[in-house]
Amino acid sequence: MTEKALQILLVEDNAGDARLLREMFRMEGPDTFELTHVLRMSEAVIHLAKGSVDILLLDMGLPDAHGLDTVRLAHSVAPSVPLIVITGLADEALAAEAMKEGAQDYLIKGQIENRALPRALRHAIERHRMQTETDLNRINQLQFKDEFLSHVSHELRSPLTAIYQFVTILLDKLAGELNEEQHNYLGIVLRNVKQLQSMINDLVEVTRMQAGKLKIELQRTSLSDAIVYAVNTLQGAAAAKGITLTSEIALELPLVCADPTRIRQILIILLDNAIKFTPATGAAVVRCQVFGQDPSLLVLEVSDSGCGIAPDMTERIFERLFQTPDPATAGRKGLGLGLFICKELVTRQGGQIWVTSIPDKGSVFFITLPVFSLPNLIAPALKRERHTEGPITLVVTEIGSQTGWLSAEVRTEQSQGVREVLQQCVHSDLDILLPKMGLSGATELFFILAITDEIGGAAIARRIQERMASYEHIQQAGLTTSTSYRSVEAIRRNAAESMKDFVEKVASQIQEIMDQEISLRMVNCE
Amino acid sequence: MSNKKILIVDDDPDVRQGMHVRLKANHYDTFFAGDALSSIAEARKHDPDLIILDLGLPAGDGFVVMDRLKTVPSLAVIPVIVVSARDVLANKERALKAGAKAFLQKPVDNAELLKVIRQALGEPALTVRAVVHDLGSIT
Repeated sequence: MTEKALQILLVEDNAGDARLLREMFRMEGPDTFELTHVLRMSEAVIHLAKGSVDILLLDMGLPDAHGLDTVRLAHSVAPSVPLIVITGLADEALAAEAMKEGAQDYLIKGQIENRALPRALRHAIERHRMQTETDLNRINQLQFKDEFLSHVSHELRSPLTAIYQFVTILLDKLAGELNEEQHNYLGIVLRNVKQLQSMINDLVEVTRMQAGKLKIELQRTSLSDAIVYAVNTLQGAAAAKGITLTSEIALELPLVCADPTRIRQILIILLDNAIKFTPATGAAVVRCQVFGQDPSLLVLEVSDSGCGIAPDMTERIFERLFQTPDPATAGRKGLGLGLFICKELVTRQGGQIWVTSIPDKGSVFFITLPVFSLPNLIAPALKRERHTEGPITLVVTEIGSQTGWLSAEVRTEQSQGVREVLQQCVHSDLDILLPKMGLSGATELFFILAITDEIGGAAIARRIQERMASYEHIQQAGLTTSTSYRSVEAIRRNAAESMKDFVEKVASQIQEIMDQEISLRMVNCE
Repeated sequence: MSNKKILIVDDDPDVRQGMHVRLKANHYDTFFAGDALSSIAEARKHDPDLIILDLGLPAGDGFVVMDRLKTVPSLAVIPVIVVSARDVLANKERALKAGAKAFLQKPVDNAELLKVIRQALGEPALTVRAVVHDLGSIT
């Protein structure tokens, strides 16, 4: 039985080095290896795309690619092809870095021995195969865990439904009068049903986080609205325990760039904890103000007069499945997922979370979130282009419903998909898909800032309409889309004007146009 | 004015009974089906104003029921609310696309269930309130 010759692609621009390697392979016999030699990365990419390469030998200094970029590029074009980098003696450290980027091994020029070469190749191929297998196993395991948890949560929710239904039937006296004691006991059952339900929800949420399926939609968001909502929601639970729950919100707070649903979720977890760990007659307070150390952030504080956290635990409480070691302080243990979920949600919105605490006095949880700033969002594009005058175009995409009003549910469900489609239509360096600008009436609006003139704007708009027409979610949900573009009045940077002032000037003009577009829809929906 | 009729399709008899007590107390008449097949027969028989539909059912599932309802003109117009223990992410969009008015995950809060039922039945007082609420949240 003869094995098929191993297809080697050698990417090497140095003729001498290439000849040397070619000789080595020739000595192994023509049936063992078949060598293809190219000089540039661009040629290598074409060969790799054909898919017949068994292993890639890659020089890290090519005319059209250099250093780790060569490895990244090759790996992104053909992740399934094992890769050995060839490097000079001085670059051994770099070669070691290359292994982190997906290379299986490295060879040092001048130190390649005849006999060692085929072995190195076969090792690399075998190592790559094992790595792929491990990755596949991991994916399978994650998928299994996903399916398992989805199944378990479904099975737990069904009996919980019947318990909830009949407890509330009794509590609402639909099955006759209750005495006070019976009423109290049923109240305890209901509280525990809700606890069980929130545990199931937490489990599902964490599974989603780990599978990368968490939805976060950043937009212009009012923290004070979220605080008022969360405090109102938990006022009853606090009062029942004899705890005063209040909020202190600084006047004229700027809006933040965050997902309002997720902010409410975070606040509810923190306030729920504060109430849980604070004894009767204690107090919990939510505060919000501009962060003293950095005015581009707002800081949210949730403080309580509870049992506090031991100093060595203040980092660990954000770990997954962490539980307080002293059960007396917690009453009942939860799953240990609440603060872990908080930390994930805060981090994914560009913020930070930490806690300070004095045992037996109380704790303060701090969260920072970035202030929404249009100048900050558009500055990179303007600076990259050194854009001091000339065209800027705002492309407006509108998603509407045939029934005239887009429900909140459809908005959240479709937004992420639409944003992904739009992201594919923009030139990533020059155009910016802006976050949601807040409520926009009967339809949903998406804005793209493009550093281009009207003709460029028209091209982007056309591209978006084409993509949207073939985006099946939009079609199936029976939604309508339209895209228009508005060129921003010629803005010129004065010689005396700083870049910062210029960016702010551009931002305020763009804001004005966006406000006009939004208010147009507000009138339409009345 | 006679009570509105609601068909409850769920394979769990406890859940059916719990729903029945709650809906009766809110002046709705209820009918039941425990599987996909009989749900169509019961719908034909009672001509309900609304169907509350579970997804996991014997002899087909909730999606099959919705497809089947669409093929009969007199049943196609009946609003459907899906009430299921299944995952929201994987099923909500699909259910709405299949024609459901709403997707609620079990266990459903009583107030929420009644609100959605009233909306689906187009009962005027609450529809107006919902619109006011929607508009209020914009400004």
